[in-house]
Amino acid sequence: MSKPKVGLGREVKDFEINTFDPKTGGFGRFSLAEAKEAGKWTVLFFYPADFTFV
Amino acid sequence: MGCEIVTVSTDTEFVHLAWQRHEGELADVKYPMGADPTGKLGRQFGVYDKTSGLCLRGTFIINPQGVLMNSEVNFYNMGRNIDELLRKFKANVYLSKKANEGCPSKWKDDGDATLTPGPEMVGKVHEALNG
Repeated sequence: MSKPKVGLGREVKDFEINTFDPKTGGFGRFSLAEAKEAGKWTVLFFYPADFTFV
Repeated sequence: MGCEIVTVSTDTEFVHLAWQRHEGELADVKYPMGADPTGKLGRQFGVYDKTSGLCLRGTFIINPQGVLMNSEVNFYNMGRNIDELLRKFKANVYLSKKANEGCPSKWKDDGDATLTPGPEMVGKVHEALNG
């Protein structure tokens, strides 16, 4: 497995990823910097692959 | 609770769309589904497996200042407990306001007993937990 570039208690480097948003039914983008600006917590939930259990 | 939940796999957003529309179990999903086809984000968090090109079941809680507060990584065939994730999330939010307290393992929600480490508690954790 790749060595993490993050650590508990340390700041996570800002990132952005493309998304599909089921609420709007369209594509979007998530930005950690924007979540921080909005004063929001972020929960990232990784899973191996679509069409399998999560 | 201001919180952004993003699910992430190495599938593209196009595959996410197809899966969410096809799978009845996902009809109620409200969270944005992140696409990490290059595994860049998975590598940043140490969950990307280059031999399979997939990400392990990693869960990460980041506070509004961008600091990583919690991480949990399960192997491919080990599912996660959503109640435990919610418990950890609530505890992190609580502790962000009460930094001198500690949430013991049985803490579930605001109002449950917490511990405040200090000289009085040394050797007395049992009494502190059991009143």
